[in-house]
Amino acid sequence: MAPPAAPRSPLAGRALAAGLCALLCVLPRAAATQPPPPVPLVAALSRGEIAITTGFTGDEIVVFGTTDRSIGAGADEILVLAIGPTQGMVVRRKTRVLGFWINGAAARFPGVPSYYAVTGTRPLRDLLGEGDRRELQLGIDALPLWSAGPQGVGYRAALRELKQEAGEWIEDVSPITVAAGHLFQARIPIPATVLTGDYLVEVMLVRNRRVVARQALSLRVDREGTAARIADVAERAPLVYGLVCVLLAALAGWFGSVLFRRG
Amino acid sequence: MQVYLPIAEMSVDALLLLGIGFGVGWLSGLFGVGGGFLLTPLLILIGIPSPVAVASGANQTIGASVSGLIAQWRRGNVDVRMGLVLLAGGFTGSALGVQLFAALRKMGQVDLAVAIFYVVVLGTVGGLMVMESVRAIVQRRRTGGTPKRHEHFWMHGLPWKMRFRKSRLYISVIPPALVGFAIGILSAVMGVGGGFMLVPAMIYLLGMPTSVVVGTSLFQVVFVATNVTLLQAVQTGSVDVVLTMLLLVGGVAGAQFGAAFGSKLRGEEMRALLGLLVLGVALSLLWGLVRRPDKLFTIGPLL
Repeated sequence: MAPPAAPRSPLAGRALAAGLCALLCVLPRAAATQPPPPVPLVAALSRGEIAITTGFTGDEIVVFGTTDRSIGAGADEILVLAIGPTQGMVVRRKTRVLGFWINGAAARFPGVPSYYAVTGTRPLRDLLGEGDRRELQLGIDALPLWSAGPQGVGYRAALRELKQEAGEWIEDVSPITVAAGHLFQARIPIPATVLTGDYLVEVMLVRNRRVVARQALSLRVDREGTAARIADVAERAPLVYGLVCVLLAALAGWFGSVLFRRG
Repeated sequence: MQVYLPIAEMSVDALLLLGIGFGVGWLSGLFGVGGGFLLTPLLILIGIPSPVAVASGANQTIGASVSGLIAQWRRGNVDVRMGLVLLAGGFTGSALGVQLFAALRKMGQVDLAVAIFYVVVLGTVGGLMVMESVRAIVQRRRTGGTPKRHEHFWMHGLPWKMRFRKSRLYISVIPPALVGFAIGILSAVMGVGGGFMLVPAMIYLLGMPTSVVVGTSLFQVVFVATNVTLLQAVQTGSVDVVLTMLLLVGGVAGAQFGAAFGSKLRGEEMRALLGLLVLGVALSLLWGLVRRPDKLFTIGPLL
């Protein structure tokens, strides 16, 4: 588990000071010798890694933690944000030419999150002020989507709509549950189509409609077992992989004809 | 039962893939076509990314065709000499076709070009086959005999004549090599083995007997599909072996049943059925081009 890193700036400042004294000293130790500041928020993931095996049909990210004050409407509240690796996307618009519907102009979005999920103890829009929400880029409509090509509003709207339909961008789908006023738990679904790579999960403590503490956790999504080995060989030795594919297919064909030979 | 495909990076229902494999394999054994022209659109329809669908379809075609080829070989229906001549043209054609495909991609309209290729080629081939075979059936009913299929025209004056014993032909090697070449180009652009074009070309252009056509076509398809699979594995890395093997388990069984069923059909009836099937695919693709799409926008990864 990562050391509690709530209010980030003081810790960063101390680390900087320690770093100035001696670059080689172990920074977290130096920081830990000071009496720890009150920790308003502690959160963790149930697993640091999600394994994609040959039976993978999607999974969920489980985040849990505690707060020093009680959680509830009007008091402290929790927001959880999960972001996957960025991916370039192209949005094409179909146009009608001579009675045929063909791909017309296309807008290219060089870097959008392949996965984006945000959920809270209450709906996002009730938790934060509109200005703060936009500034922190929380919510699907607040995601900055830079694009090249035609700049119509329709392209952005289509990207948001289709990503949500695929279950890859989600907002407020599974509310955070709270036990005993201090223990919270969020279960965020991830679809079977997720990309492999490093995911960032950020837990935020909201007080008086402002984010007062945040903790970043990292999650790795990776192929494992047979699926990983196949993808690995295909990438490292494509010719060998291709030959094996051809041989396997030919063998399967031969085996079939032997098996079904009659008389 | 869901299975995760490591290259396609998604999970699909294994039973669905087995079913698709069986159906396409059955047609493959029956008609001597690889089935790529059916399989690739079907895979795209169930959500497999198109590069993976094309590449794995070619890989699946190898298995289904080997199975069908062995079944035909046992019946003595493969003209190896004709197959080799076709193949020589086919490899040259597909090398050129890959270049054409790259040029189309550069122009940014590869989807449209492929769809139009499909509609025009499948529509023409299917329409001609249905017309001819219906005429042959009607003629047989009327006269009670088989029509003369081998006619002499300018083609038979070309040099480098060769005897194709199994096909009962003594013709120049130029027409079959040209047929192989043209189909090589088309198959590279359309991402299929090309059997559905090869079968009618062998019957109508070369005048081969239907019984030999199926086995010989499968012979050519096995090698063309091997070539495509290797090229795809090296260049695009989009061959999904798990997808292929699932399709094949259904496919090899289907191919055997198809081949057994095919021997019960008359030549012209079989041609009429294949013609209708090809025509049906062409019409549904045309409908896809003309119909107002449900969604005006589509998204995909930036390549």
